[in-house]
Amino acid sequence: MSQSSTQKQTSLAQQGYRVFDLVRKFARGAQEIEATLTSTTGESLRFGNNELGQSQFTKSRTLSVRLASGKKQARTTTGRLDESFIQKAVEKTVAQLNTAPEDPDYLPMLGRQKYPTLNRYHERTVEESAETKAGHVGHAIDLARKNKLLASGILGTSFDEVFMLNTAGLEADYRGTGGYFSLTMDADNGNQTGFAMSTFADISELNPGEVSETALERARLNKAQSEIAPGKFDVVIDPNAWSEMLFFFIVSASTGFSPDFGVRQYREGRSYLSGRMGEKILGDNVTLVDDVYHPLQTGPAFDGEGYPKSKLTLVEDGLLKGLASSRISAHRYNGVNPTGHELPLPNPLGEAPTNLVVHGKGGTKTTDELVSELDKGLLLTRLWYIREVEPRTKTLTGMTRDGTFLVENGEIKRPVKNLRFNQSLLDLFKNIDGFTEPVRNTSFTGTAMLQPGILARDFNFTSVSPF
Amino acid sequence: MNSTKSLGEELSRVSLETAARENATYADFRLVNTISEVVSVINENPASEELNDLGAGMRVLYKGSGWGFADTDDVNPENIRETTRKAVALARGASKIGSKGSFVKEPVHVDDWISPKKKDPLAVSTDTKYGVLQDATGRMKEEGIVARRGQIFSTRIEKYFANSEGSKIFQDLTQTGASLIVAAKGPSGIQRRSIQQYVLGGYELLDDLDLPGQAPTLTKEALALTQAEGCPEGKSDVILSADQVGLQVHESCGHPIELDRVLGYEANFAGRSFLTPDQLGKMQYGSEHVSIVMDATVAHGHGLGTFAYDDEGVQAQRKYAVKNGKFVGYLMSRGTASHVGETRSNGCMRADTYKLPIIRMTNVSLEPGNWDYDELIEDTRDGVLMDTNYGWSIDQKRYNFQFNCEKGYRIKNGSLGEMIRGPGYSGITPEFWNACDAVGNQKSWVLWGTPNCGKGQPQQVMGTGHGAAPSRFRNIRIFGAS
Repeated sequence: MSQSSTQKQTSLAQQGYRVFDLVRKFARGAQEIEATLTSTTGESLRFGNNELGQSQFTKSRTLSVRLASGKKQARTTTGRLDESFIQKAVEKTVAQLNTAPEDPDYLPMLGRQKYPTLNRYHERTVEESAETKAGHVGHAIDLARKNKLLASGILGTSFDEVFMLNTAGLEADYRGTGGYFSLTMDADNGNQTGFAMSTFADISELNPGEVSETALERARLNKAQSEIAPGKFDVVIDPNAWSEMLFFFIVSASTGFSPDFGVRQYREGRSYLSGRMGEKILGDNVTLVDDVYHPLQTGPAFDGEGYPKSKLTLVEDGLLKGLASSRISAHRYNGVNPTGHELPLPNPLGEAPTNLVVHGKGGTKTTDELVSELDKGLLLTRLWYIREVEPRTKTLTGMTRDGTFLVENGEIKRPVKNLRFNQSLLDLFKNIDGFTEPVRNTSFTGTAMLQPGILARDFNFTSVSPF
Repeated sequence: MNSTKSLGEELSRVSLETAARENATYADFRLVNTISEVVSVINENPASEELNDLGAGMRVLYKGSGWGFADTDDVNPENIRETTRKAVALARGASKIGSKGSFVKEPVHVDDWISPKKKDPLAVSTDTKYGVLQDATGRMKEEGIVARRGQIFSTRIEKYFANSEGSKIFQDLTQTGASLIVAAKGPSGIQRRSIQQYVLGGYELLDDLDLPGQAPTLTKEALALTQAEGCPEGKSDVILSADQVGLQVHESCGHPIELDRVLGYEANFAGRSFLTPDQLGKMQYGSEHVSIVMDATVAHGHGLGTFAYDDEGVQAQRKYAVKNGKFVGYLMSRGTASHVGETRSNGCMRADTYKLPIIRMTNVSLEPGNWDYDELIEDTRDGVLMDTNYGWSIDQKRYNFQFNCEKGYRIKNGSLGEMIRGPGYSGITPEFWNACDAVGNQKSWVLWGTPNCGKGQPQQVMGTGHGAAPSRFRNIRIFGAS
């Protein structure tokens, strides 16, 4: 079986035209209409305790309808695409539209646009059989068994499609594939543990044996950990270890987990960055861009209202340089141009970067080479449960897990017990002495991130776990 | 008859017959229809969205050792048949690798259940909700205030469950939630005050919460926090507000008693647990004042973990996780209960919409103690009161935690003193709960709703309930956020 068996039906675009006709039919009185059809098909083999316990196939589609009249707008989303349910959803939106307050930021819908071509669909990811994927999982489990370890993790693939239409003539579509193989090998109730992960758009890129060997090697090393006193350590952080940290760079808990790098939030004073444009917020050797066109990135070339995304430099050589923008911000503020970072409208939160890429100067080293440059410090292979403690300095707390190693004279000496950190992310970015190339990360947040492994100074650990 | 129920009856027959023809050992089928509405106002900007999500999930056991699951949003009989075959194919593949443990028995249930509510939140107009939120955020507009945000959440979940053993269960659940956040900027940076609550119930929650009535106090406190002193560092006695105790229960008790993570099935993401089966009935998890129940019954209250049956058809139950400080029970499923010698699941399998059910918290609650809130303050010579969660973090085995709160007060000689900003505390779970020497009584006990608990791969989001009262903990490590 493969995911493709259900994809050889009507294409999403064909369904989209039919659905849009129905939406128009029922949206009586609305001056403008936007319809967005999304489809996600996924297959995942989830395993734990050396058992393949949760094999899942999932398919879902949604239709989101935005109607507008005057300066009023309303949105309804439905998971059913039968005519009667579309009618129900659209009539509900019409009712909401009639009673909605005027939106001071409302702008007429966007007309036809041109988008750069993005080839993000890889048939093999969709076609790969469950049996082949189960073979990769089986190999990991066999390897774990032979080494008296327990394997747990997931091998998941997905196929995403988006099709957007509106009455102003806009048509935008996207199809892309993705997946990841995430693996933990452990023993002794997690007192001995190792982690590895690989992500892909084309499953041909996946080297499952390498993932298994890395998790095994780390698990072999990471047992009988000694306790070290917390304090400041130089660290090497594996590129797959810290995507959650970067998420808090662009989102703040202080304002209810709303995005910070948008023009509207910045100008309204809601962002922790407000008033800091041009300020040195990171180190000289760090540049941060939002670039949906990077070959390792994912997602469509248009934003929540169909505006084409631009490559945007947010931080250049450590200086706060740019913000995500939109038509609303361009309308509100002089001298602002849209960058294609609007969320689906109506959007009172503000704009948000969606495709972060962290570039470090001299970023051609491997994690092993960074470790070899560490006189004394720690190698962190995975960080966990990161949360904001203080927004202005972006002080974050979190834990290490699945392998924290003491390094001396460029060599891994021994594993140590897990540590809690309280570390300013801005300070961390000022203390980086070495980078790997950025790699694709999965993130619990849904923001697509490419980030490098780093060698950083004075990382602040505050307490120790018993394991 | 309810349309979700009648469609569920029709499609479950198709699915279960298909699974039987494919020689499944066991099969279950769920049809879930979720209607949810979010109405928001941020500063002056309004937004609302309604989502209607209908789909079916089929779970199949093959040769007693291989599990397969498939779901779909295309709920016509032909596709349900095909999707069930997909689940069987996955189960066949999984049976070659195998799964340990037996599937414990559950009586057959044929039942309908509608959750209690006074006012259907989805019948209240969006316009009315905008009115409440604009009134509240309007009252927060003051110099120094940089963000005002109010939200009202209304959800109806209709689910039909049937399994190959004969159970047929229809449940109709209504949930309502609301939140209000205000952020102020001043000398100490951005400071936040907020309130939120989520219940199994109707729009009457909004009457109880009175968001507009609370807005001025929250605003005043947020502005005051920008001028307030930071929290001292060191060891101190700490009194936590009821909502913060609820989150402490969630993170440091609710998660480590999930039996799937104990058995290693969550090791790659959510993690493992320090509460291993050899500790069951032996470990002194907390002091004698600490008793924690797992209770999904309506008698416990109208929480986000309240239901009549879980998502594998097990009836809602009340069991102790911690009794007078001793660790005595896990959150379980039919597939895991036998691992700890139990012959029946206590009904904790729950799924995000029609996705795969996994072990989740129900209402995991600290039982009330004997202390009036005022007595608790008066009895504390030197300490810190911490109120309303800001941030939370805990290691993957649920030992080492750190929490930050929005506001605090010094306590001196039995009286509340000056306000402090960003108070935080940290510790190791069993040491912390063994340092608990006072728990508030029923008068201050509230069943809090946590709407966004993440677990599983692919990740699922679930609402859980946590009853708690203000409680005191002795000699805890405290610090300030800034």
